[in-house]
Amino acid sequence: MSIDTADNRAGSGGLDRHRLRDLATGSVSSIAVTLVVVIGVGLSWIGPDFLSQSNLNIIGSFVAVPMLVAAFSSFALLAGVVDLSIGSMVGVSSCLTATLMTTAGWPLAAAVPVTLLTCLALGAINATAVVIFGADTIAATLGMLVALRGVCYLLAQPMGSITAFDTDFYTFTNLSAGPLPLLFVISIAIIAIAAAIVSRSRLGRHVQAVGGDDRAASRAGISVARVRFAALLLSSLGAGIAGILYVGQLGSATNLTGTGLEFQVYAAMMIGGYSILRGGVGNPLGAALGLLVVAGTANILDVQAVSPFYTNIIVGLLLLAAVLLDRLRGGDSYE
Amino acid sequence: MSDAATTRPMPVGRKVLLTANLPAGWGTASLVAGAWLLLVLASAVHRADFLSYQTLLAVAFTMAIVGVLAVAQALVGMSGAILDLSQPTALTLAGAVVCQLLGMGWPIPIVLVAGILVGAAWGLFNATIIVVGKLNPIIVTLATNFIGTAVMFLIFQHIQAPIASPVVAWGQGNFLGLPNIWWPMVALVLIVGFLLPRTAYGRHAIAVGGSRFAAQARGISLKKTRFAIFISSGAIVGLASIMFAASNGPFAPSAGTTFQLPVIAGVILAGVSLAGGRGSIWLILLSVGFLSTVPTSLVFFGLSSNWQAVFQGFILIVAVSIDGWRARRLQR
Amino acid sequence: MSLKLKLPTIIAGAAIVTSMLAMSVGLIGAASAAPFKLGMAIGGEPSQDWQKAQGEVAAALAKQRGWEYVELSNNADPAVTTKNADIFIQDKVNAVIEFNGSPAVNPVIAAKFAAAKIPEVTYDIAQKGFYFVGIDNQAAGLAGGEALGNIAKTKWNCDVDLVISSEGQGAGIVNTWRTGGMRDGIKKVCPDIPADKWVSMEGGGQVAVALPAGRDLLAAHPDAKKILVVGINDSSVLGVLQAAEQLGRADNIIGWGQDGSFITGPNVDPHLAGSVFYFLEGYAVYALRDVIDPIAAGNAPPVKDDPGNPASKVQPCPVSAAAAAKIPDMAGRVTALLAAPKGTTEYDLFCPKA
Repeated sequence: MSIDTADNRAGSGGLDRHRLRDLATGSVSSIAVTLVVVIGVGLSWIGPDFLSQSNLNIIGSFVAVPMLVAAFSSFALLAGVVDLSIGSMVGVSSCLTATLMTTAGWPLAAAVPVTLLTCLALGAINATAVVIFGADTIAATLGMLVALRGVCYLLAQPMGSITAFDTDFYTFTNLSAGPLPLLFVISIAIIAIAAAIVSRSRLGRHVQAVGGDDRAASRAGISVARVRFAALLLSSLGAGIAGILYVGQLGSATNLTGTGLEFQVYAAMMIGGYSILRGGVGNPLGAALGLLVVAGTANILDVQAVSPFYTNIIVGLLLLAAVLLDRLRGGDSYE
Repeated sequence: MSDAATTRPMPVGRKVLLTANLPAGWGTASLVAGAWLLLVLASAVHRADFLSYQTLLAVAFTMAIVGVLAVAQALVGMSGAILDLSQPTALTLAGAVVCQLLGMGWPIPIVLVAGILVGAAWGLFNATIIVVGKLNPIIVTLATNFIGTAVMFLIFQHIQAPIASPVVAWGQGNFLGLPNIWWPMVALVLIVGFLLPRTAYGRHAIAVGGSRFAAQARGISLKKTRFAIFISSGAIVGLASIMFAASNGPFAPSAGTTFQLPVIAGVILAGVSLAGGRGSIWLILLSVGFLSTVPTSLVFFGLSSNWQAVFQGFILIVAVSIDGWRARRLQR
Repeated sequence: MSLKLKLPTIIAGAAIVTSMLAMSVGLIGAASAAPFKLGMAIGGEPSQDWQKAQGEVAAALAKQRGWEYVELSNNADPAVTTKNADIFIQDKVNAVIEFNGSPAVNPVIAAKFAAAKIPEVTYDIAQKGFYFVGIDNQAAGLAGGEALGNIAKTKWNCDVDLVISSEGQGAGIVNTWRTGGMRDGIKKVCPDIPADKWVSMEGGGQVAVALPAGRDLLAAHPDAKKILVVGINDSSVLGVLQAAEQLGRADNIIGWGQDGSFITGPNVDPHLAGSVFYFLEGYAVYALRDVIDPIAAGNAPPVKDDPGNPASKVQPCPVSAAAAAKIPDMAGRVTALLAAPKGTTEYDLFCPKA
């Protein structure tokens, strides 16, 4: 009873909660419409083959790992602390796993926990800078992005890439669960769990509150520091898992693994209703749909063998259109 | 994070920080200067020939273009528009126009003006989308960068200023012992740093960055300020593109991306807050100078260039942590 | 009555018409047997424009043969390269040509194509099971290095202060062979250059990276006067040459490049003494002549995946700057190649016969 009263007192309970949920579902429904449009374009231009099992597999396996990263990083975005270092951290995770497996000769089962712990330690550095020292989150995680990319290069020396082809792991990452890739199904499940946490659990409401108005959340008794610290750790954990999965999927790690992943993920999340500057808005379902919209569009252009530069132009326009749509619906308005 | 500041009363500490001559600025300056000095000393102790004219030249060349781009980025940051992520595209776009016109034999003064105008036009383009669409600059510039570079690739793969051109001779040469392209950078920093708090335009920009509601209440037009900032920032990038075309051999449309992170790091290290309203242009000389010395020092220490990124990244994390700690103490 | 008389005629007529129809359907069926489908994955590294040109040439040659052609870009990204393999397989192409700049991912792609029984040609970067079409990078390196060594011998009697290698780590084994090969070539002509005079830096294969790195390296060796520069390609050598010009050290610096990208045209750096052409953009002529045409005719050649024993060998063409003045730039070369008789290579057309 006292918990409910505290939530209502905070204002982030009663009224704000409904407004936040409306905002989240509002943006989710508009991105869902966009996805339907993309599917429609695909079906009319390519034909029924667009939704063939083979094509869905292609889209699914390409989008699986970024979707996992998005799910884990969504809490940091929601809490108002964007982690720009996820791409480089995926690279470090990949390179570290591959190095341990090849140079050190470790089995995968030994490399995985060491890699994950390393990523958590790096995430703790991010969290310490941002939460304890109060560093600007964009600047601090940008610094980590630069530093970790350098670490990738060092790990991948001198050839620039490490081949670590483990047959069992490769087979696992390429398994199918019915008509779809297994990794894709797992990522969707993680998104669903994240979405449930965000919209239905007290933890989710706390994270939204922290991102929406940290002073109000603090007055309501929520530990802003703890929530943000945990969110950043979670983000780096996701990057760690993703890097390991890439070693399985691609049988290798390079000094460039993960480059641009932060753009791919955050652009998709912004298309899906998140804001990288303001916490408190967004739903993991929106992130998943955003990724599917971009991947679906890219796939249509791939299958029709359109020049890849046109793909970039279209994705850029999509991003602008999506945020414009979001703004027209009453979202973030910049003056 | 930052936008919460616009919805609640400003804490006392923040108000103090709205002026350009801030106590925090001196703190940042001494930290950066101290770190730079330490780096130079350590390198000199390791290898005495670090303190040579060659090192000075190498660092100065690296500083020149990064410094000009940092001034442009600092203007954007201080006015509350956070970051302009489309600088790489503006740089190569204006640079390509400069190269093309030089190749066609146009008179040099007109080519230089053209370069600056192309940069300003790109700024105008961004500002229009931002103001009319009421969209966040960081997202808009992210998208326009993506689109702009892709469009350029459809037109050319690489371009070069004619090596016989006097512009290229200027770009590679020296004046009073320092690179020709270094002097305009210093002049720009000094002039912009001087003019910013002393012109209405500059003061409006900083006010909008500090609190747009307070600025609006004072009658400052947000729209006009946004346009002014992006156009002038774009013009400065146009200046950088001339220096770039003069000194960077054949380049591809994507060549500007190598500057993006050093510029942002230089801006942040100069005390420019990405939340807006705070920062010193003059400090850019110190921060960019320091960051440009790091790669050269590493070579003298015998470390591979891969270590550059590691050091620069961690310097940035440490710097903003210190910055954040000081801002927090000021608020209490 | 006339109808009854015409019945046999009608039946005969119907039989003739039906059989004619049947024959023409059969012919149409034969004629509309699916044309040969060639897939090509270009490298997608934006700073290397020959990668785009490789696709253009392949497309034109496929069109000449009436084939279907599907082109994708690997985007210099291993995840995209893997995705492209899936798309080619889904598209049921009959053969694939690929330039894969992320060779670490080749085992995965080889497994996919082997399972789908699609033959693949790889340009320049070997993979077991792929037809190798390309240059012997080590030989190309040696040729360039020897040419540069000869200049050093003539001008300075091999008294060299510094030999700079502008590496391109990302290219992996190709970098080791090519840049290393250039060093070996210099050593063949000038064996007595001391070990501490050989230095390396990361040039990234482009001027934008090689220029600042070159400045720092030259600053760290302030006393070196007579300098040789080699690298993985023209751009990375060019960056160091321009760095020397900026630092006022260009009086006695000589570079020799690889791939011929910046040795033609009116803007050749005066310190770039020469380069080694592979005429990368014209590789498709070799690939089609020796591998794809036989496959399309139903006569797949044995798989030769070793660069030492390739399915089709491309000859390197070392060219001095003076001789390169007569060679057209890439666009001109492509036009001439496509107008030339079938099977003519750019080497035939453009390499100056010594």
